[in-house]
Amino acid sequence: MKSEILYPGAFPMVRVDLASGECVKAESGAMVAAAPTIDVESRIEGGLLGALSRKVLTGEKFFFQTLRATRGAGEVLLAPTVPGDIVILELDGVNEYLVQKDGFLAGAEGVKIESRMQSLSRGLLGGEGFFILRISGRGQLILNSFGAVHKLELKPDQEYVVDNSHLVAWTATTSYNIEKAAAGWIASFTSGEGFVCRFRGPGVVYIQSRNPGGFGAWIRQFIPVSQ
Amino acid sequence: MNKPSMNPLSANALCFGSDLPAAGVPCHVDISSVGLSIQFSDLPRETVPFTALAVEAGGFDHDQLVVKWASNGVGRTVYLKEPALIVSFRQFVPPELMADLERTAVSVRRARQRRRTFLLVAVGSVLALVLALWLGFDALVRMAVARIPVEWEQAIGESARRELLAGQTVVTEGPAVAAVQEITKRLTDQIEENPYRFKVTVVQSDIVNAFALPGGYVVVFTGLLKKAESPEEVAGVLGHELNHVLLRHGLERIVKTLGLVAVVAIFVGDQSGLIGLAKRLGIELVTLKFGREQETEADLSGLHLLHRAKISSDGMIRFFERLSESDKLQVEMLSTHPMSAARAERLKAEAASLPGQTPEPFGFDWIKVQESLGHWEAGTL
Repeated sequence: MKSEILYPGAFPMVRVDLASGECVKAESGAMVAAAPTIDVESRIEGGLLGALSRKVLTGEKFFFQTLRATRGAGEVLLAPTVPGDIVILELDGVNEYLVQKDGFLAGAEGVKIESRMQSLSRGLLGGEGFFILRISGRGQLILNSFGAVHKLELKPDQEYVVDNSHLVAWTATTSYNIEKAAAGWIASFTSGEGFVCRFRGPGVVYIQSRNPGGFGAWIRQFIPVSQ
Repeated sequence: MNKPSMNPLSANALCFGSDLPAAGVPCHVDISSVGLSIQFSDLPRETVPFTALAVEAGGFDHDQLVVKWASNGVGRTVYLKEPALIVSFRQFVPPELMADLERTAVSVRRARQRRRTFLLVAVGSVLALVLALWLGFDALVRMAVARIPVEWEQAIGESARRELLAGQTVVTEGPAVAAVQEITKRLTDQIEENPYRFKVTVVQSDIVNAFALPGGYVVVFTGLLKKAESPEEVAGVLGHELNHVLLRHGLERIVKTLGLVAVVAIFVGDQSGLIGLAKRLGIELVTLKFGREQETEADLSGLHLLHRAKISSDGMIRFFERLSESDKLQVEMLSTHPMSAARAERLKAEAASLPGQTPEPFGFDWIKVQESLGHWEAGTL
């Protein structure tokens, strides 16, 4: 499987080239177009219980679609729902990524996707809910963000503070604590930041340049109330 | 110093350092009695004695063994997560490092214990919440509904009514409208402390039904007027529908639906569903189904209202009897509406317990009302 990002920027697409017999798992609804050699199978990743737990717990889509090059090699075009960058990561069987629930776009066949429960403080205050995706295995992992995606590289013990709603994915070797953005409670909320995540390296953290919740709140004021 | 590169085939750990990529470099780690040996694909194997190592727990879930040392003055950190590697580390570690390893193991166990406890507490709280909702939800909903002002209710009902009547033909005048108004007035005059101004709309449609929206908006379809054998049957249906409004059944259903979704949304951390639901509220209202208890409550209160208005309850009972003939195929357990036959029986029993009285007739000619709606269709429902 080979992937290439087309039209990088706000409205990108991914072209995935599949060899005969290869497949790619994609978020349901992500397929834009495909060669006629590609078959779409709707598959329940991780069995029915796994899929159910992912659906109920992370709010991810119940089914992933599997796009398989059953009748010869071919290409698939995939795109996320929201405008924003796409990143392609290589999983080598050792590294693992934790991904917030809307961040997954597609993954190679060898990529394993599980729901992971977070601790009480991270779940309540982290902004991603109690459940996130833990993605491991081998092959390419394709993530999408809202806005541009920015990579933070943390050396061992290096720290970085990230607004929780800007998180996309981070490696499992990093850890984070939730804390107030400012020293006082009132200042934390009047600053508009509320809670932030203090990440500690080593590892990589991918952040998005736009906050989906904030954008939703902004756009809501322009939606006419039904008469 | 040469920078090590990946050897994905045999990699079992990730190595970090200030001179290495932040995502870490895959490497192969072995533990022996000599110490930790690490190999990158293009570099000779390097063995670090245990005396040079420091250990701690790390990683997102605090479940990886982090081993640190200095190699030619450069800090190296290796994250081990394979259980077999961690076990062999414990096996070969000399006594002087054992204390550190034990401390690490304790902190890992503690982190796991905390996670397990949290999971138990979370599952327990969800179960407790479900149980509490199961047992006390109705009371909670009633309390919430009691606090909603009538004006809000009217706004919700008005918006739903507008949505519903869009594209429908509303009958604004004529004997049918006058008759429905008279029936409604007879009934509403008997409601004590009525906070609503009931507005009845007659809609041209073959549907044999009438329904009530929150805030006092009652819609009657001409199908019901055509099929009703007597005005008392219509009065029975209206009495029932008016009581859905008076008992605020519609609001109860909305609060119930929203409440459950709100709990789930807060837990899952996704409020977008809630907003979507609130937006769909107007449409939901139109297809609103009342619960069986609410139907029974509206039946009985409707019967009492008929009695106070000196309208014979025979029409209401007769209507349900005729309805029961048409729903013989339904299975009661699957339906939110109590079966019409059972409803008719319950109403009969209740009517018998009320003091006897002479019903007062309506001031219109029912046959003329029906003739005004088109051809005569009274009979089977």
